[in-house]
Formats: sequence, C-alpha cells, structure tokens
Amino acid sequence: MRDVSIIGVGMTRFGKFEDRDMKDLGREAVWTALNDAGVGIKDIQVAYVANAVGQQLTELKGTIGQHVLTSAGIFGIPVINVENACTGGSTSLRGAYLEVASGNADVALAVGVEKLFCGDSAKSAQTMAAGTIYAKFGFMFVALYALQLKKWMAASGATKLHFAKVAAKNKYNGSLNPYAQFQKAMTVEQILESRVVAEPLTQFMCSTMADGAAAAIVCSSDIAKKISQKYPIQIAACELVSGTYNIPGEEHEEITTRAALKAYEKAGIGPEDVQVVEVHDAMSPAELRMYEELHLCKPGEAGMMIDEGHTTLTGRIPVNPSGGLAAKGHPISATGLAQVYEVVTQMRGEAGKRQVTNNPKVGLVENAGGWTMDDNAACAVTILKK
Amino acid sequence: MDKKRIPVQEGLFIEADPGTGKSYLIGNKCKKCGLTAFPKTPVCPRCQIQDTMEETKFEGKGTLDSYSIVQAALPGFQQPSIQAYINLDNGPKMWSLVTGCEPTEGSLKLGMKMEMVIDKIRDDEEGNELISYQFKPAGK
Repeated sequence: MRDVSIIGVGMTRFGKFEDRDMKDLGREAVWTALNDAGVGIKDIQVAYVANAVGQQLTELKGTIGQHVLTSAGIFGIPVINVENACTGGSTSLRGAYLEVASGNADVALAVGVEKLFCGDSAKSAQTMAAGTIYAKFGFMFVALYALQLKKWMAASGATKLHFAKVAAKNKYNGSLNPYAQFQKAMTVEQILESRVVAEPLTQFMCSTMADGAAAAIVCSSDIAKKISQKYPIQIAACELVSGTYNIPGEEHEEITTRAALKAYEKAGIGPEDVQVVEVHDAMSPAELRMYEELHLCKPGEAGMMIDEGHTTLTGRIPVNPSGGLAAKGHPISATGLAQVYEVVTQMRGEAGKRQVTNNPKVGLVENAGGWTMDDNAACAVTILKK
Repeated sequence: MDKKRIPVQEGLFIEADPGTGKSYLIGNKCKKCGLTAFPKTPVCPRCQIQDTMEETKFEGKGTLDSYSIVQAALPGFQQPSIQAYINLDNGPKMWSLVTGCEPTEGSLKLGMKMEMVIDKIRDDEEGNELISYQFKPAGK
C-alpha cells in the first residue's frame, strides 16, 4: 500500500439554502477543493460521492454522484455512490484513500452532499429517523442521545453543567467559523436556560437540519510532494467499522473505541500524540463521551477536560474547533468531509480567527452514524499527520 | 366509517382479546446458545450460523433500563413522549415508548418493573388507529 495525502479540501457554508440544490452545493465544494489542490478536472481518476436522503427529499432519485459531478463538469470516470448515514462522508474518503493506496488511481475525489430542507420539515424529520427500524414506533435520535448520556453521566461523574460548558465552547468556536450554520456565541447560562428537548439536553446543545457539501482530493504522497500547492496532509489511517450486537449483561466495546484502536494501530500513532480533533457530536455533550472513548483522557476525566479548558482553541488538545455539529450544522453525508476539511485547515494553519494555537502535527476525525442492534450502524476514525 | 385498529407492523406482537388473556411479544431464541432477540433476527449474532433461531413469545414483563422524556415528536405522535429501553424478563433489551404515567422525571425510576400494553401510538392518514406494543409501570 502506498502513502496517501490530502492535497485539497473544500466545503460550502452549512445552513438553510432554499434556492440551492445538491448539484449546486456539490459543485461549489468540488471546485473549491480542486482550486485548493491546484489540480484540474482531468486529473481526477475516480470519485466517491456520499448522500443519505437525497432520494427521499430531492428530485434526484438515483446515481446522485453522477448528477452532482456532471454539474461540476466531471464525467466519464468511475463514480461510486455511497450511503452510510452520518458516516457517509468518511466512507467516501476511505474509498478514495483505498483507490490511491492500492495504486489503482493516483488522484481521487471524495464528496459528501446533503439537502435536508425540502419545504416540509415533518417529511425531513421522518426521513432522517427512518434509518432505524424503530422510526415507525416513534423513535427519535435525540431521545437515544439523552438516555445514553444520562446513563453515562452516572458512570463518569459528568454533570449538566459540563454539558453546557462543552456546548458553549463549541458555540464560541462556531461564532468564528464563516462556514458554520450558527455563528453566534452563547453563555453557559443561555444554554442551560434554553428549552429542554430531552432531559438533560437543551435546545442549544442539539444540532438541527442543514444543507451543505464538502469535498477532499487525495493523491499518492510521492505525487503530492511534486504537485501540491500547499503542505500535503497524510492520511495515516482511515478506519471504518460497523456496529456489533449489544447483548444485555455482556461486555460491549463502544464502536468509537473499536474504530479508534484500529486507527491508532494502523497509524502507529497513539491518543497521546493527537493534537487537534473533530468528533461527531450531533448533541454537543456527546463530545465529552468521545474524550473517553477515543482515549484522549482516562475514564472519568471528561468533566475535568472541559473544566480545565484542555479542549478549547488555545488548549493542549482542541476539540471541535469548527464548532461541532450543533454550531456548524449537520448535513448528514457532508459532515464527515467537513470534519476533515476542518482538521486539514487547522493543520495547515489556515483557520483564521478560530486557528488553534498548538501548531498541530497530528489530527483525528471521528464520524459515526445510523442505529442498529442497539449500536451505531457505522463509525469511522481518520488520523491525519504532517 | 368505523375506525380500524391496525398494527404498526405485522408479526411483532399478539394482542389478546380484551379481558381474556395476555398479550405477547414475538421474538426468537437461539437453540444453541440461548440468546434472545426482539424483533426476530434470522441468524444468531453470537453463534453466527444459520438455522439456530426459533420463534418464542415474551410475556412483556421487564425492568426499566433507561429512559428519556422528549419534548419533541415525529408527525402524528404524542408530545411529550417517554422513550425507553426495557430489559425484558427472559429476553433482550428493547426500545419502547412508555405510557400510563405522567411524562415527568418523578414518575419513573431506573430498574422499576414495567409491563407491556398494546395501545394506539398514532392515527394514520385515513384516521385509523395504529397500534403497537408500549410499556407502562407495572400494576398501574
């Protein structure tokens, strides 16, 4: 297997864009990534395009990748359509990465695109919940997060105040991010006083619907050294797992930990080496769990991590400098590649007002999604280094 | 036109005639290792070989594993709702809506005994009642 590097990234702003369709959003992200990499359409030899609910919510009823890429001027090459719930973006990256690592292609494109605002928010909500077998019984992801976090609070000693602190950190980061859906800082008090959605989660701890797209261009590290306009960021690992049967009363390793341990081993990099992180926090407090499950701290230390400011922009290991899903927005399949966009941008030192200050050499992206067998359906952990 | 009672999904539960007996959940159990599943799973996730699972009925008694009171709902569903995981006696852990108590933190306690009821979860577009299994605090 060859070493693979990311040479270009691009994303749209996330938000509600009533007059923009997936082709328009995807085209912007792809061309931003092409221009960032300094390569042309004809250099792209294969493309992976992730989308989750476009068939249900938009006029595109299949081969969405081809529709989106054609509008960007890309055609004739192999296009692989990816659906993997919220993990779609990372799954696309993994496909592109493996094409290049195997030697099958020299330059590959990964895209994630999603349009959730369709003029009928009830339809959007139903469609998003329909990824689980329980949707027709009234199941909601926010309830799942809430009951898991309540259990976790009891085990870890984390409190609702910690939850609000991590949400406030992320709202602040999002206020500095021109691509974020919500660019407004909030205090711990404002977050605690906002409407309770599902105890212990309040409105401003939760992500909402968004439209958006993100893209990355990868190529072999040898070629990257010759053609890349910017410092190439190497993919040290891009590991993907699916959920395992969660049998009551029996040990069940968290899916995030399983993916992370595989990635750490593959990369030859430990959690102690990681310096900037994006985690999948559809509800901001889930970030605290991820500190422990990714082994960024010991069990029971998540509250301390936020109390002592270790994960702020100026901390020793900044987490979700983009603002995370609740501030940046969560257009399902675009999320994983937007996380990659953020970590690459931070490692290049190009993040502007939200630039982390520890000059990170190693970054990590965690991206989970779906629900099956009482576990996430998928989880990807990507480790980047320079 | 009379409103019909329609199961939200076939093959998940048996509703007893009112007053005559018990309702059951339909799951399955591995002949080899004893693992139970609800809803049914065709291949035992522990043994990972075919043809070991056989249908079984669960009485619908269990304990409250975890719950959340949700001030939001999918279209047609009651709001607020209580969403929970139930540890089924002699069975697996399963997700369910909770009914038969106030949607307040004080009315539920982790580990408390719960029992299944078959009841309406929402009306469909034609005004029929969609029914499903739900759980309520035992004895209420």
